[in-house]
Amino acid sequence: MKHETYIRLGRMVLLLVVQLLILNHLHLFGYATPLIIGYMIICCETAVSRVSLLWWGFGIGIIYDIFSNTMGMAAASCTLLAMVKPSILKLFMPRDMVDSFKPTIQNLGLSRYIWYSLSCMGLLHFTFYFLEAFSLEDLLLTIGAMVGGTVLATLISVCVEYIVRNRIEEREVGK
Amino acid sequence: MQNLIDFIVKYKHWFVFFLMEGFCLALLFRFNNYQGSVFFTTANSFVGGIYSAVDGVTSYVGLSAVNEKLEAENELLRAEVHEMKRELATHRIDTLQFEGFNRSRYRFVGAQIVNATTNHSLNLLTLNKGEQDGIRPEMGVVCSSGVVGIVFLTSDHYSTVMPLINVKSKVSCQLKEHLSFGTMEWEFGSCRYGYMTGVPLHIKASVGEVVETNGHSDIFPSGIPLGTVESIGQSDDGLSQKFTVKLAVDYTSVRNVSVITNYHHAEKRTLEFLADSLMSIE
Repeated sequence: MKHETYIRLGRMVLLLVVQLLILNHLHLFGYATPLIIGYMIICCETAVSRVSLLWWGFGIGIIYDIFSNTMGMAAASCTLLAMVKPSILKLFMPRDMVDSFKPTIQNLGLSRYIWYSLSCMGLLHFTFYFLEAFSLEDLLLTIGAMVGGTVLATLISVCVEYIVRNRIEEREVGK
Repeated sequence: MQNLIDFIVKYKHWFVFFLMEGFCLALLFRFNNYQGSVFFTTANSFVGGIYSAVDGVTSYVGLSAVNEKLEAENELLRAEVHEMKRELATHRIDTLQFEGFNRSRYRFVGAQIVNATTNHSLNLLTLNKGEQDGIRPEMGVVCSSGVVGIVFLTSDHYSTVMPLINVKSKVSCQLKEHLSFGTMEWEFGSCRYGYMTGVPLHIKASVGEVVETNGHSDIFPSGIPLGTVESIGQSDDGLSQKFTVKLAVDYTSVRNVSVITNYHHAEKRTLEFLADSLMSIE
């Protein structure tokens, strides 16, 4: 359990570094910034309790907020995603799974994983950009940022999942 | 109690979730100017709407209380009107009231004396009101203590007044109790005393009797005090009495005066002129 926590902490730091140093400077079409920090919640297995998932989401969100001067926006969106994520995952995972289930490409299959990731990232970006705009003016711009960010973040998360996880597993298999 | 604890434990993730979201939104509205202003503006207008709705309802509900209050006030006013009517019925016309006041024949224009001489034989006062205020020559000037004089000349904004203390001044007057006519004159000397001449010898006036206007000249309404009889004497020719009168007005200190404008004056003059001319034809 502790081992898992350390891994998760390391993942969180890595995600935050990538997000804050690289992705925050990426403005697709001028305004769409992918929030890869959502991957932190997406990749959590079902064994993690809802409350601790909430804490993880809130933690990564608030740290992101502090460093990117968006006080409360990412924290609120990540907490919401952490709350809803188990329900979303239930839609995509096989029914007979009872024990801890890890949402990976291997376990879900590529298309299901993409849909799962897209739904989660969609929710995260929708909440984040809605809180940022906080009005229905320039709705097209907001929707553009939501869609652009979602697609990009999903792409990145799928790539990461595909490459990193595969490599780790290959290494484990190699051992 | 156990059920409550069970309930909280079972749904603790919901409580944690709502607490966290509340905290996040608090941060959002506290540290982001735009979101904060939007939130507080909306919240204010929302609360304002609720308040006005509540106010509408409560004021409608409170109408009966307002009605009762009005009813009570009406009752009070009705009683007061009744009392006033009763009071009025017992009153009769006071002789101190100037004739014609009720018919609004006379109007008063307030003015101030801006210049005055009291130590010449031909003293004059200057008022700060003139023709633009409706003042014309030959209008009466009074103050709170009595007659001051008669308007002599007027300009747009100023007018001069010939006071009683001018050797050319002559004002028709009467003794208040004996109703005997005379003329108020002045001789160069003290500005506190004038003379009432032309009183028939048989009138036995007493010292201290009030001398007032008689209303004949139409410049002054009747009953305005000119002064009080100070001493009784005879005229130079010995055919009438001549009273020394202590003037009611102290010309050295008077400042605020009223000019009496008589709206029927022109009408009366025209009628008298017509009568005179008809008489002369016959």
